[in-house]
Amino acid sequence: MPERNTPQKTLESWKQIAAYLDRSERTVRRWEATEGLPVHRHEHERQDTVFAYRHEIEAWSRLRTASPNPSSVDGADTDNLPAPTPIVNKYLVEHDAITRTMHRYIAGARAGDSDLMRSAFHPSATISGYCLGVEYTGSVEHVFQWIDENGPAPNINPRFARIEIIESIAVVHLEVQHWSGKLAGANARASDVFTLLKRNGEWKITHKLFHWHDQ
Amino acid sequence: MKSEYLSEYDNIVRTMQLYIDGCKQGKSELMRPAFHPNASFFGYAGEQLAIGTQFLFDWIDKNGPAPNIEPRIVSVDILDSIAVVRLEVAEWSGKLAGSGVRMSDLFTLLKTPGGWKIIQKAFHWHAAEQRLAA
Repeated sequence: MPERNTPQKTLESWKQIAAYLDRSERTVRRWEATEGLPVHRHEHERQDTVFAYRHEIEAWSRLRTASPNPSSVDGADTDNLPAPTPIVNKYLVEHDAITRTMHRYIAGARAGDSDLMRSAFHPSATISGYCLGVEYTGSVEHVFQWIDENGPAPNINPRFARIEIIESIAVVHLEVQHWSGKLAGANARASDVFTLLKRNGEWKITHKLFHWHDQ
Repeated sequence: MKSEYLSEYDNIVRTMQLYIDGCKQGKSELMRPAFHPNASFFGYAGEQLAIGTQFLFDWIDKNGPAPNIEPRIVSVDILDSIAVVRLEVAEWSGKLAGSGVRMSDLFTLLKTPGGWKIIQKAFHWHAAEQRLAA
């Protein structure tokens, strides 16, 4: 297992990422889900494998805010990383806060667990779009139900196609390929446009607009 | 003959024009057909979080005419059945708006059998910052 000072540039498994950060695998998986820990995936036929770049992990550690995570479930395995360097670039602060919110959505979609993504949404958030010619509009609860019924979609590897920030509002275009699951079928593609609102310093999704590409 | 892209683009801009006409004349009835029945509306009006298209329509009617607004379409992005439009409106005026203020809007639109409809408007009202800064 590589030590923290290993010259190796990439970490090739959850085990290695956890060892590098000196935390449990459970904690680093949660950090990916809730705090945007930069983890990448090799796409394979059956199931993806994860990897991470050391320099990205280092940068994430530096930028990570010092605010305590109230949802910590790891008990003794505390979230104390080396003291983060204060962020001075206002744009980066907002950009990273937005991608952190979006990574909660992605983590929930990947795991098929809406509980992981609920905190990313504003309580009054809505959804709209067409799937197979049927229009869906309504409460974000529809998203949560769909995600839970669909189950895990381990191969999705979303890309941020656009992040545009205007002071208190933002739009994020997410391209999601290799959707799978009970409802999604196999290897489907979705284009999602999220609108976000900054509320009490936190970015929340207020609307998810989707286009489900016909296969 | 217009390409499919141009005709979608022009249809989207026509929908946006209904919104702009409603703003200029201070008449929500002009812009209502541009909105999907389930459309939502989000943003801060000063300290107050404004939610719901009814808030918008009431505001437009109460604000009254704003004949000198300078709207500019900054971007139109079309992804098959969905679209994003960024609109900058300078020189907002009226009973509620005051004068010479600026609004940035992000509209998301859905292509329905009845044409392109606004499904959400998110706005940032720059006047609030100016007041806070003053």
